[in-house]
Amino acid sequence: MTGYRARNQVAIVGCAMSEARRRPTEPLGVTAVRTARAAIADAGLTVDRIDGFTSTSLFPSSGDHASVDGLSIVSSGWLARHLGAKPAYIAGYEGMGSFTGSIQLAVNALVSGSADYVLIHRALHNPAGKYHNTRTLEFGGDEQWIAPQGFYSALPGLGLVTTEYNHRYGGTREAMGRIAVEARKNGARNTWSHWYGKPITLEHYLAQPMISDPMSMLDCDIPVEAVGAFVLTTAERARDLPNRPVYIAGAANGYPRDHRLKMHWTLDEIMAAGRDMADRLWASAGMGRGDIDLPQFYDAFSPFVYIWLEALGFCGEGEAHALVSDGGIDSDRPGSLPVVSGGGALGNGRLHGLPQVLECYRQLAGRVGERQRQVETALATYSSPHYGGAIVFTNNPAS
Amino acid sequence: MSRPVPLPDALSAPYWEAAARHQFVLARCSACDTFSHPPDVTCPACHTPDPEFRFEPVSGRGTIRTWTVIRQSFLSGLEIPFMLVDVQLDDHPHIRMLGRLLDGPEAEVAIGDPVSVAFDDVAQGVAVPAFRLEPRA
Repeated sequence: MTGYRARNQVAIVGCAMSEARRRPTEPLGVTAVRTARAAIADAGLTVDRIDGFTSTSLFPSSGDHASVDGLSIVSSGWLARHLGAKPAYIAGYEGMGSFTGSIQLAVNALVSGSADYVLIHRALHNPAGKYHNTRTLEFGGDEQWIAPQGFYSALPGLGLVTTEYNHRYGGTREAMGRIAVEARKNGARNTWSHWYGKPITLEHYLAQPMISDPMSMLDCDIPVEAVGAFVLTTAERARDLPNRPVYIAGAANGYPRDHRLKMHWTLDEIMAAGRDMADRLWASAGMGRGDIDLPQFYDAFSPFVYIWLEALGFCGEGEAHALVSDGGIDSDRPGSLPVVSGGGALGNGRLHGLPQVLECYRQLAGRVGERQRQVETALATYSSPHYGGAIVFTNNPAS
Repeated sequence: MSRPVPLPDALSAPYWEAAARHQFVLARCSACDTFSHPPDVTCPACHTPDPEFRFEPVSGRGTIRTWTVIRQSFLSGLEIPFMLVDVQLDDHPHIRMLGRLLDGPEAEVAIGDPVSVAFDDVAQGVAVPAFRLEPRA
């Protein structure tokens, strides 16, 4: 990589977030159309101006559910057609670093001149029945090596990683609980959240049964039906639009490096990939971790918060659980690192990176009302460092 | 209750045939001699597109790197709870296996505990490599 020439060349200029509902009340595509229209209007634009569309449509990575465009997934092509837009550029991001990755696709399209205004969206479906359930009893392909033992979906993999973390560094269920409690506290403040008005206590958390030790249900985000959308354009065009632009300062993705069984993630590989990603992230943004006012870490499973804190160097390796236990991520405590101040996934629902980007954007654009922080830079992460990605934002590109 | 079973393919068939005989084998690349698990269409070590994997018996001794007890599963046909262990193979430390610990979900385990491969007979003529605790050194 020769340097990130797109630094601060592209800005988010508007957004919209649907309500996160436990079950669909209309086809997902309809919610996507409504949300996209709201985001375009929020940016002070009209549909005919939007000529680029990027997204990812990854849907349950395990289980029996079929993907149907417009119902269980919403591709950018589907959305452009149903908005009546005239796109010049449509692209979808493959892989698990999906939401941060599709922001990068949008940046690339705008900097290259392939499009002038790009709509990026993420639509999440919650199918009937359990999210990853399968009635299959014969497993071929990648799953023949894991399912006969009873290893299936991401959850037991996170159970393995978290057991290793806790035994290596002395982490406790209480510390994990503080992540869940913090996320739910913040999510309870979002009117659109599935968990609006529903914070939890540590006692409630600790009373939950394990489902894959040391993970309980409250260490996992809850599947929801929801759509978020953002409008991006070039820095030059952003100046003529009504909202304060929030610039993309830098971005990096991580990729698996070891040959492993499907969904078999190991703590050492995650951390090694994370350190490598952090180096590329700071190089692209021209900043270091000390320059970040508001980190927002992916938390679909509570231990991801430890992983991101340590991989990006916000604390030493093995120290995140103590930082969390000491109130170090409390969004109401001055001087803390409020890494789930937007409620994240645990506090809002299974939204694959949306809440983190939403909080970064809204805080930097000065659009969160009484929760407003005085911030100039923010960082959103998605998934695990060895599959996911991170984006650095700023509202002050001159600084 | 029927348990989930593997559906062998051309690449994996020798592994499952050996497992059915309670023999633990691993795939070894014909080009670079590196063992890989699982085998892939190219060699994960040397990336040759013609790995022509051969399956060779290996000791199956390893150490527990981590574990989880599954108390709720998305899969059909499983009796819960059960313990899964992540095992680093002593003779091939780049390989990490996932298997059931046949000592049961209440077994006392610690990181670094020694295990050896054992076999879980899941259906008529179908066995899945699993692990048993060995005495601590």
